[in-house]
Amino acid sequence: MATERQRRFLTTTIEVEGREETKVVEMPDRELEPWGPDANLAVVGKAVPRVDAVEKVTGTATYASDVSLPGMLQAVIVRSTIAKGRAASVDLEAARRLPGVVDAMLYGDLPRLSKPIRTGGATLFDPEISYASQPLAVVCAETMAQARAAARAVRIRYEPSPAVVTASQALAAQAPKVRARGNVSRSSPAVESRGDVDRGLAEAEVVIRGRYRTPSALHSALEPHGAVAVWAGDRLTIHEGTQGVFMVRDDVASALELPKGSVRVLMEHMGGGFGAKNHAGAHTFVAALLSRRTGHPVRCVLDRHAEQTDTGHRAPAVMDVVLGATRTGRLTAIVVEAVVNQGVSGWEASPGKIFHELYACPNVRTTETFVYTNTHAMAAFRAPGHAEGAFALERAMDELAQAVGVDPLDLRLLNHADHDQEKSRPYSGGTLRPCLEAVAKRFGWAERAVRSTGGGRAEMVKESAELGATFPAGGGPRFRRGNGIAAQIWPAGGGPPAYATVRIHPDGSVDVLTGTQDLGTGSRTVLAQVAAEALGARLADVRVILGDTERTPYTGNSWGSMTTPSVAPAVRMAAEDARDHLLEAAAEMLGCAPTDLTTRDGLVSRCDGSTPTPISDVTARLGHLTIMGHGSRGPNTSGIGLMTFGAQCAEVEVDTWTGRVRVLRIVAVHDVGRVLNPLLARSQLEGGILQGLGLALFEERVLDERSGVPLNAGLHEYKIPTMADVPAIDASCLEAVDVRANPVGARGLAEPPLIPTAPAIANAVADALGIPVRELPLTPWRVLAAIEQGGGPAA
Amino acid sequence: MKLEVNGVVREVSPSPVESLADTLRDRLHLTGTKVACGRGECGVCTVLLDGRPVYACLTITNACVGLPVTTIEGVGTPDALHPVQRAFIDHDAVQCGFCTPGQVMSAIALLRGNASPDDSDIRRSMSGNLCRCGTYPRIAAAIRAVANGQETARGD
Repeated sequence: MATERQRRFLTTTIEVEGREETKVVEMPDRELEPWGPDANLAVVGKAVPRVDAVEKVTGTATYASDVSLPGMLQAVIVRSTIAKGRAASVDLEAARRLPGVVDAMLYGDLPRLSKPIRTGGATLFDPEISYASQPLAVVCAETMAQARAAARAVRIRYEPSPAVVTASQALAAQAPKVRARGNVSRSSPAVESRGDVDRGLAEAEVVIRGRYRTPSALHSALEPHGAVAVWAGDRLTIHEGTQGVFMVRDDVASALELPKGSVRVLMEHMGGGFGAKNHAGAHTFVAALLSRRTGHPVRCVLDRHAEQTDTGHRAPAVMDVVLGATRTGRLTAIVVEAVVNQGVSGWEASPGKIFHELYACPNVRTTETFVYTNTHAMAAFRAPGHAEGAFALERAMDELAQAVGVDPLDLRLLNHADHDQEKSRPYSGGTLRPCLEAVAKRFGWAERAVRSTGGGRAEMVKESAELGATFPAGGGPRFRRGNGIAAQIWPAGGGPPAYATVRIHPDGSVDVLTGTQDLGTGSRTVLAQVAAEALGARLADVRVILGDTERTPYTGNSWGSMTTPSVAPAVRMAAEDARDHLLEAAAEMLGCAPTDLTTRDGLVSRCDGSTPTPISDVTARLGHLTIMGHGSRGPNTSGIGLMTFGAQCAEVEVDTWTGRVRVLRIVAVHDVGRVLNPLLARSQLEGGILQGLGLALFEERVLDERSGVPLNAGLHEYKIPTMADVPAIDASCLEAVDVRANPVGARGLAEPPLIPTAPAIANAVADALGIPVRELPLTPWRVLAAIEQGGGPAA
Repeated sequence: MKLEVNGVVREVSPSPVESLADTLRDRLHLTGTKVACGRGECGVCTVLLDGRPVYACLTITNACVGLPVTTIEGVGTPDALHPVQRAFIDHDAVQCGFCTPGQVMSAIALLRGNASPDDSDIRRSMSGNLCRCGTYPRIAAAIRAVANGQETARGD
């Protein structure tokens, strides 16, 4: 019988976006010694600039919508203006007659395939309409202006029927059916439970109850979804801005019934994804189909309205939370009932999961109901589920803190979870406590407690009397300041499969080939750093080639904060493999053993540092004998939880007359394992915090509740943070190399910083006003309404 | 019509409603100017028209006759970066990069009109350029560095 090491294929579990998946993995050929905290690293951990920054600041970086091919046509999708009903007729004739129009398609023009093409929760061009903005037809023309004019000329006769827009409408007794099976998902109600919550509540000396709501937020990436498709014989090439070139390839190959090897998907740069660009979309399919019909390359890029109405959203959640605790604040029970409005379809991003993970509690039960409505389908959005759940949990924790008279920081430390309670296993490295302690110190949390007075803890800025005006609901100071704290936990350990190849050219320059993507996160840069480190090459000599299903080896989607922990170990292995080959070649030339030699900073030298020889001298002598290395991501260690931790504090000022909230500062401390590049890590932390600030204060898709028609489908009406909204931000990571996570010691960083921001801001607003805040975003009218309901801000 | 772009006079025949963004991208293949909304909401397509920042998606090409246009391609090259570009790199004022050309153009316009902007000048002048990656603190730091003379062009 084979031993563990000799078996090539093994079964392991990995977590993706909070979901656990069991996968067969391949055991790599070599085992890597982890880079420990004291490893003497030359490139990894250094604040080097982005390797693609020059391209980006000079405008030479190429995005999918920049790809221009000879004879290329422009396609525009015609979309439903009603949310529910039927397109009784779609008339393309007037559009076809317009100048420059080359082709147009509706449902009946689609190729006969064994099953219909599904996208966004609907069948492509299905005349049965289940959400506003659903694609009904497509036109293509020689120029974009002609295509837009043709799209406007398409005549559609609608037969509307009543739409189900909100979750409560969907759950009403006589609600029309959104889907044939009904308005709740097959898994609903999904119950996750540990311990005995009834006993936990019976034991509780204090019980807190609240209903918390989070909005539908829109990803709003500045680069709209888009694809350029071109055929050469039976082979299809697609340029697409995507988080997963292999996922798009698989989607297209499956839908169009093509061999996977006949579909090439590639991407150089993309303008943000945030979860919305994981799959092929209608734009991908129509570009491919029109290109085949017309014999021309076809580009289909969404306009802003389509981008804001048919590319996914953060599913709005209503969460009823009950916390039971002892008089001193120790949790005895957590009970959550959540209703999530998925739109017409979507996977089930759990708002309940974080209640099982973040704090120690023996008795937890979450019940989740995922509801379908006639609104566009949800998509993963940076920490899907966790961000929503964190708002409810962290607000409830503050309400508990107030009820038991314990400082919010102390309450969190008291209920600290020092291990993975769901699986009864330790964490791979780190816990929440050091993050809480460090953030409190950097923020001056203890100082704040001294400074604060009374229940509202408001710092008086200007007295309304002084200004000669009286606040309608109570008087007192117009501007109130408050402070809040919140925490996060997020699985970001990554996992297999991920592959990489490293090759060294005769001039010593190095290519790293791996099929991942750089969404703007900096993957290209940190992978170059890892390769340079492991190979002993100079960073400037390393080029990272990503995202091409034909020419780079497989890695999965850039989602779930998985790219660095999944791909960096594979790149390191490939580079070490190449280095070993290089040293064997150098040893032959220098007349010594490979083990006598080492590489660093582009030089091969003896281990004592003598006889340094440029790598390029070695490779030049080899000619076209090419040094190559291969690497793959090994399985995760079983029996440990791979999580990130973090805590943030916010200070806000609330104008109690206008309801306007201004965030003055955010302090963030996260534990993500080793930081591969502090310059880029800070950018990603700040970016997550600012998206969290948008979720806290501004962002909310608004639909007409009767018709289901989107009312704020643009970047003026749907407000994302601007330069003017930026607070002072102090964001950092702990020194926390995680040698048990993977041989590079890094976990993921993309999603964690978003999670605690909105709850910390909401806690600060509640602190400023002395009243509960239970609904996001905290727009002025919502703040004023909370003040009215709360009987005015506490003194 | 004759359109002067980055110091070169080009002959173009735009339609009467054609935007400068479409002319630049589709006719002149200057794809450094990106389009994210096409309706003046985001600032991604910012270029300089006669030295002043404009949204190229809302600017009619025919109305640009006689007014020099500067796009990101006319600002600097990898071998001769503009100090603002250099500062954006050094301060990591770039994530996905899609809004970056417009941010650089707005920053240049700001610094031309005000060599030492304070934080509120930067906030006001740059708030018409959206960045969904949240690079704003780095952009502000880059602009401050140029204003303080900490960044000079390299390759000059």
